[in-house]
Amino acid sequence: MKAIVLSILLAGILIGGAFTFSNRPTPDAIAEENNVSLVGGKQIIEIGAKGGYSPQQTIAKADIPTIIRVATKGTFDCSSTLTIPAIDYRKNLPPSGITDIEILPQPAGTTLRGLCAMGMYNFVVKFTL
Amino acid sequence: MATPAQKIYTFHVNGMHCNSCVVLTESELNDLKEVTRAKASLKTHRIEVVGYFGDKEPEHVARDLSEILKPHGYTLSLEKQKHSANWSDFRIALPIAGTFIAIFIILQKLGIVNLITTSEVGYGTAFVIGLIASISTCMAVVGGLVLSMAANFAKGGDKVRPQMLFHLGRLVSFFILGGTIGALGSAFQLGSTGSFVLSLIVALVLLVLGINLLDIFPGIKKLQPTMPNFIGQHIHGLKKVNHTLTPLLVGITTFFLPCGFTQSMQIYTLSIGNFWGGAMTMLIFALGTLPVLAFLSLSSLSIHRQTQRGIFFKTAGIVVIFFALFNLINSLVMIGLIPPLFNF
Repeated sequence: MKAIVLSILLAGILIGGAFTFSNRPTPDAIAEENNVSLVGGKQIIEIGAKGGYSPQQTIAKADIPTIIRVATKGTFDCSSTLTIPAIDYRKNLPPSGITDIEILPQPAGTTLRGLCAMGMYNFVVKFTL
Repeated sequence: MATPAQKIYTFHVNGMHCNSCVVLTESELNDLKEVTRAKASLKTHRIEVVGYFGDKEPEHVARDLSEILKPHGYTLSLEKQKHSANWSDFRIALPIAGTFIAIFIILQKLGIVNLITTSEVGYGTAFVIGLIASISTCMAVVGGLVLSMAANFAKGGDKVRPQMLFHLGRLVSFFILGGTIGALGSAFQLGSTGSFVLSLIVALVLLVLGINLLDIFPGIKKLQPTMPNFIGQHIHGLKKVNHTLTPLLVGITTFFLPCGFTQSMQIYTLSIGNFWGGAMTMLIFALGTLPVLAFLSLSSLSIHRQTQRGIFFKTAGIVVIFFALFNLINSLVMIGLIPPLFNF
């Protein structure tokens, strides 16, 4: 019995350790609006898609027309199959290129979540006043 | 000369869990010169053997016949053996499975997908993309299926052939379907509902197969998909059909399984615009996934001794259940039922 407890502990430590210590540095996990720009009354949010989405969280302005501009560069992983369930968006992005997604003005407090088709990569855009 | 007296023996078969097991045990025993007739029943897990074994005690006969059936994973006994979960196997199985899962998580966290730097897909790149895909999260889907299939077939004593058929089905379907996409210029892609349903099914199948491999709950074997009895009794060599068609079909299905890499390769193939280009690109991509998948599917060859069997099946079971939960969580995230738990 003791040995079983020990082996459960060992397996737990291995898996837990893999989660904690292998954290890949994500320099812009929370971006300070530097990926958001205003062009001709439209808000443009730039998001990179390769091995996940970056930045993972974006704060954007509410109530103005918005474009989410997704850039792929040699992207063949799951992040190329982008879905945004809230606006019923689903598209396979080209391996390299830029894809614009038009978004209607969103009320303050809305959060849009983008996911890849298998669900393990995601990003959020939070709309505030 | 008088014929030696025939005797009827009834034994319990330990390890009999499917219709093909009945066919297998019967045909193995019928091949012996001592045996006149052997009739097994899946319902009672018993086998009736008629034959001449000299003056041997029934215990001795059971031992001798067990030796013949052991390579296939069955043993015979006079008394019904109580189901023992063999918890001690977990002592070794848990750390091995834990290590495997830890390596899987580390690989995802390290961002292996960023190793692809080109945007031009040559045949060399297609191979590298396949190689990376096979250790990416796609391993949770296709690798999980391969591992659970390998382990479940190995339980029935069939280690290599079903695996070869699976890989053959996979390679051929990638070649043909890749070529078709290239020629038609339109992809076979499922909508969001379709891919949700498909990944849910994959998750549930993996869950049942994984729990079955752990061999803790004898009752769940009933859930295992097998051919109905009435077909089994009429088709000669049922084992052959089940062990040939199933892996081949699963191999073909992997083309449609939710895996980001497969999907984006299909999108790329669209732009090629001819049969050969598309067929070769998808085939080489599938070849790139082959080394890791072959490693998983031939892992059952590592069982050399009887004592390793339990450990292998339990290790495989834990890993398959982990992949099942991973798929289940991801598919629930996809329909927005739960917030994302993993973000690699």
